[in-house]
Amino acid sequence: MAAPSAGPLVRFEGIWRHWGRGKGRWPVLRGVDLDVPAGTVTGIGGRNGAGKTTLLRIATAILSPDAGTVTVDGIPSTASWREYHRRIGFLSAGDRGLYARFSVAGHLDYCARIAFVPRSERPRAVEEAMRHFDLTALAKRRADRLSQGQRQRLRLALTVVHRPRVLLLDEPRNSLDDEGLAMLSAAIDDVLARQGAVIWCSPAGEAQPVDFDQRFVIEDGVLRPGL
Amino acid sequence: MVSVLPYLSAVWATMKRDALIFVSYRMRVLSQIVAMLFSLTIFYYVGKLVPRGTVGPHDEYFAFAVVGIVTTAVLTSALGSAQIVRMELMQGNFERILISPLGPVWGVIAVAAFPIAYSTVFAGAMLALASLAFGVPLHVGGIAPALGVGVLGALSLACLGLFFVAALIAFKSALGAAWVIAALSLLGGAYFPLRLFPGWIRWTSDVQPYTPTVDLLRHLLIGTRPAEAIWLELLKLVGFTAVLMPLSVGVLWSAVRVSRRRGTIMEF
Repeated sequence: MAAPSAGPLVRFEGIWRHWGRGKGRWPVLRGVDLDVPAGTVTGIGGRNGAGKTTLLRIATAILSPDAGTVTVDGIPSTASWREYHRRIGFLSAGDRGLYARFSVAGHLDYCARIAFVPRSERPRAVEEAMRHFDLTALAKRRADRLSQGQRQRLRLALTVVHRPRVLLLDEPRNSLDDEGLAMLSAAIDDVLARQGAVIWCSPAGEAQPVDFDQRFVIEDGVLRPGL
Repeated sequence: MVSVLPYLSAVWATMKRDALIFVSYRMRVLSQIVAMLFSLTIFYYVGKLVPRGTVGPHDEYFAFAVVGIVTTAVLTSALGSAQIVRMELMQGNFERILISPLGPVWGVIAVAAFPIAYSTVFAGAMLALASLAFGVPLHVGGIAPALGVGVLGALSLACLGLFFVAALIAFKSALGAAWVIAALSLLGGAYFPLRLFPGWIRWTSDVQPYTPTVDLLRHLLIGTRPAEAIWLELLKLVGFTAVLMPLSVGVLWSAVRVSRRRGTIMEF
């Protein structure tokens, strides 16, 4: 594993991204620069379609920027897939990404394995993730038999089961009640305690249940202070 | 050097996941067994119309066709990998694999592994049933080497499947898999001997891994005479696998790069 870098934990430099083709091409991100230090939570807001999800997807490396670079812990997103992705946990917006007929514990064990959590640490990682999100009693229940809020808690547990240093959360409040929000808050505290960092994206106007160390809003493709 | 073990462990975990989901549909296995029985019965009686010795000096058409059918079943699931990936995309599950350290290429291999492994096991079960219930004279001594040939054949056919996954990821369409399956099973001699083909089209049987796979399996399991020397057919099969594996992985990586750039990797 590479040694941690001395700079910000996550760094976006000059990110440009267009959508569409030909004359219909438009810029959704225009030269975004952002430093996210270790031990901090960064909130990013913006209207629907402002480019929040695009920015997060660029951070996950499943979308390439037209220009610019992203680094996590000093590792560029274009470098080692394995080392880069071991460090990040991504929660996509919505409620997808679960196997209907697969159990809660099965999901967590599976995600720990594809995240290369060592065998000796896996049972504890799964157990902790279930405990964090109050899923222990639901361990054997199939995903399609969970409520929406329980599903979101499972999705969050899958995001943190490998103890990533960087959490990328896209509209994480989805279907969570106060209890669920408190669990999410505790999971964020756990990441921060390990000198990790969190980027939280949410639509403009949504109440925020966590304290942000930095707040930004994406307007016209540009990241501005605010939220 | 990066260890390959975590990747293999993740592929195994994905197979286990898919197996658990598969058996959760309890009627699925039963319906497949029933379909297998019907299929065997049809060819059993078709075989009675074909005079002995037509497809080889020793054996009957039924045994010949059964080996063709089971090899085509493996071919179908190998080339159906794109369909599996498409389903993962539609359900939003492929994203989780993409953003994991496993990555897109190993992720595709992982989701394709169970259907291919299952169809290989199912093919074995079908052969056993054909032997026990319909009296196909399987050569017991040929079963072990046939397993090796089967795995090698499945591997080379799986590489063909990766090209279709690459097409799906890059162009959002893997149309053509169905006719390629039909063409390969036809030109590879799944249901009748290649010598029945006109000479001008026979070359197509030599440029794909299905033909040596089915021919070797027939020779090992039911004792038909191979179309070429055994060592040559084995060499072809190994050669196809050795060439197709890096090529298909390379093409898949290129497709991933293109779709990441276009922003279409999560589209379906």
